[in-house]
Amino acid sequence: MAHPSQLGFQDAASPMMEELLHFHDHALMIIFLISTLVLYIIVAMVTTKLTNKFILDSQEIEIIWTILPAIILILIALPSLRILYLMDEINDPHLTIKAMGHQWYWSYEYTDYEDLMFDSYMIPTQDLAPGQFRLLETDHRMVIPAESPIRVLVSAEDVLHSWAVPSLGVKMDAVPGRLNQTAFITSRPGVFYGQCSEICGANHSFMPIVIEAVPLKHFENWSSLMLQDS
Amino acid sequence: MSLPKPVMRGLLAKRLRFHLPIAFTLAIVAALGFKYTVTEPRKRAYADFYKQYDAVKEFETMRDAGIFESVRPSGE
Repeated sequence: MAHPSQLGFQDAASPMMEELLHFHDHALMIIFLISTLVLYIIVAMVTTKLTNKFILDSQEIEIIWTILPAIILILIALPSLRILYLMDEINDPHLTIKAMGHQWYWSYEYTDYEDLMFDSYMIPTQDLAPGQFRLLETDHRMVIPAESPIRVLVSAEDVLHSWAVPSLGVKMDAVPGRLNQTAFITSRPGVFYGQCSEICGANHSFMPIVIEAVPLKHFENWSSLMLQDS
Repeated sequence: MSLPKPVMRGLLAKRLRFHLPIAFTLAIVAALGFKYTVTEPRKRAYADFYKQYDAVKEFETMRDAGIFESVRPSGE
């Protein structure tokens, strides 16, 4: 989850998010390069009364300030497209989970083998146990096997929602009447938090997502227990 | 007796010839500074973290700390 006054991304918990992090660093480096150049030129031009009223054209500088930006754009586009195509690779998931958005909670359906379904409501602030995170905890977490490819089919039952978990680099709109697919692998076991990312009414800020990634054996125990309880 | 004629033309061009190389150099220094103080350390940090990462040990530590709800701590 994010910590107070955090500026950057959350620590990556999936390979895709690591790629996105490094790409962001690359793009930000280019932004700093251009911004430093432009800021210096602005200050240099604003702090002089010297002018040249007789410049009509200059083929040389026009060539330079066309070719150089084109090169910079290519340097940004190539890693970007690489990540875009990486995201679309065939990934052969071990598990498919349906995440359905409602006003104002998520419901998860694990229907690969048995019919396991449950709702995931935010825990109200007054009911939090010590150490739990305000506006982020839910009564039932989406449990998945760690380090396994997971496919999530996202949809909604009423209005637009969006299923997002920043540390996994995942965000997918939940559109009523439409099934959107996303996939991820967690690099390590742990608990990962997200929040609804499409305005959906009064309690849009109060329908978080919590993913618990545990080893496969424990995931199987959990799903058997959940099936017994339901 | 008479003063030398002052330079009256090309003053802006002279200023540009002085400042533009400095601007480009500063820009490249800023980019390289960011690359070697942020980008490369971050890549190394992630590589080092996962080089020695023991998922089972970390899971057991988190489990015993009571972080998970699907798995009780080992003593319970």
